[in-house]
Amino acid sequence: MTTATFDLAADVPKRSSAAGIAVVLLLPIALVNAIGFILPVLNLARMSFNEALPGGGIAETLTAANWTGLLQDRFYLDLIVNSVAVSLGITLATLLASYPIALYLHRASGAWRTFLTVLVISPLLTSAVVRTYGWIALLAEQGPVANVIAAMGFQPPRMMFNTTGVVIGLTEILMPYMILSLMAGFGRLDPKVEEAARTLGATPFRTFWRVILPLTLPGIALGCLLCFVLAISSFITPKLMGGGRVFLLATEIYDQAIVTLNWPLAATLSMLVLIIFGAALAVYSRVLRMIDQG
Amino acid sequence: MFARLSIAASAFTIAAMSSAWAETVTLTAYSGIFQEHYTKAVIEPFMKKYPDITVQFYGMPNSAQMLGTLRAQKSSPQIDVAILDVSVAKAGADEGIFDKIDESVSPNVGDLYPNARVEGVAGVGVTFDNLVLIYNTDQVKQAPKSWNVLWDKAYQGKLIIPSVPDIQGTTFTIISNKLAGGTDYKTDLTAGIAKIGELAPGVQTWEPKPDVYAPIANGQAALGIGWNARAQIYAQTSGGKLGVSLPEEGSGFQINTINLVKNAPAGDAAKKFIDYALSPEAQAAFTSEMFYAPTNSKTVVAKDAIERTAAGDMDKMIDIDWLAVAKIRDNITEQWRRRIIPLSR
Repeated sequence: MTTATFDLAADVPKRSSAAGIAVVLLLPIALVNAIGFILPVLNLARMSFNEALPGGGIAETLTAANWTGLLQDRFYLDLIVNSVAVSLGITLATLLASYPIALYLHRASGAWRTFLTVLVISPLLTSAVVRTYGWIALLAEQGPVANVIAAMGFQPPRMMFNTTGVVIGLTEILMPYMILSLMAGFGRLDPKVEEAARTLGATPFRTFWRVILPLTLPGIALGCLLCFVLAISSFITPKLMGGGRVFLLATEIYDQAIVTLNWPLAATLSMLVLIIFGAALAVYSRVLRMIDQG
Repeated sequence: MFARLSIAASAFTIAAMSSAWAETVTLTAYSGIFQEHYTKAVIEPFMKKYPDITVQFYGMPNSAQMLGTLRAQKSSPQIDVAILDVSVAKAGADEGIFDKIDESVSPNVGDLYPNARVEGVAGVGVTFDNLVLIYNTDQVKQAPKSWNVLWDKAYQGKLIIPSVPDIQGTTFTIISNKLAGGTDYKTDLTAGIAKIGELAPGVQTWEPKPDVYAPIANGQAALGIGWNARAQIYAQTSGGKLGVSLPEEGSGFQINTINLVKNAPAGDAAKKFIDYALSPEAQAAFTSEMFYAPTNSKTVVAKDAIERTAAGDMDKMIDIDWLAVAKIRDNITEQWRRRIIPLSR
């Protein structure tokens, strides 16, 4: 569609018909979004002002009690801080693990590149549940990872059923998304620029720090946004690997909605996650603007 | 949001499934092994007895999800009968989702044990279950006789305790309160909470997935708590790896109720099914099949099944008032989160 508007920019009468087509083409997805996303979110927002009755009942009221209660309760304040901190940690770990791979993939060419790209994407073909169970087997008390650490003469730390397990599991699960985002954002990275830097006498480290890293910032920003949003909203891996010790927003929403049946509180927490998403998007667009301005 | 989506999706599926036949009773209850055994012991004999009625089993993983689905269908119900936990059934009754089940629906209601008829709940008890100790027979050689084995330092790091809000955790809190000398669980659980706090550092996971039975049967953990009926089934299927013990201090009951959905499309056929489900015949068959204790006092349970349920130890059981517990549930959850789980990090 971008090309269409571009071509027709000079041609005014045709342009209005193109706009008409655009509206017609956008209508189905707008409708699906309105029914499948906007309405439920509004419903959720409304639900967060209802009152929860003991035992799972809901009273149709208009009370801000859920919101004020949430923001006064130490447990939930810790929960919010903890969720954001853990998600940021996972995002950083994912970035560090994925960046070299993405850079290598960007430079590879031909069949080798295709092969490697398929290799990177292939974990997405397996569900996160299966991969999480894989990690449970690997990180278990007498699992292979613990055995290797023990064989090297160290006391293996607890890697399962705590925050460490959740971070390890989610980092691996989110890596394909990060690598793909990084590669998509590496468009500006031209090998000639690196060569020029080296010709002018820059050390490899300096080349990386002054040339490669700044040029790849858009990809980093995109990947971090995506991974942060996915990390803070994922609940299967924290549920399976947290051992009931790791309290995060997404798992708490699940517990409140499915186990305790406190839908109003679950709705309030869901809206809170939506607000955090909004904040993450705002930070992202700000970072992009800063990158553009140099 | 995921949960709501799947609830909405399942509501659509049921709508598509059940509108075609008139004499179809749609039953919702727990999926998995409950569905498997309930179909065999109750639904199939029922359909043999009433060939013109078909019972569709719509399984869902837990009571809350059933209530969510029923809530979504309130204006146009697609489910006729629901078997779910008593405290969730109370919430449903309060919201006007269920019709009252009394002697006019089924004469068998008159023969139910008094604790199967809970004030304020529209449905009536259809199964009793109770909390038990479960253990891995390779790691725990002697069948433990007391709950106190959970506090034995030898099993540190090998314990699995499903925490609240799961009601296994709630029941365990009430039992621990009694062990610790607490008096009335409805007013003060401090002693029980402190006692569980003592075993907290030795707990491997508070949230076993898919359930508590698998990791103990396969040796990932040595000891835990679970429900008797499921534990008995897994004790059979694990080839003796999973042991089950009803400790001498007794235990607490969990009640599943059967509920008639208001404006249920199946009408009288649904009532016929409920009547059959409460009959001594169906109750005895399901007890022999899956070791839930019967709720109908006229039920004659096979001898070998009695030994594997709490039916023979009724006097040792703590009478848990689940509706009173529902009122203090938030408080119990809060205490677990502040005074128990942090000790295990």
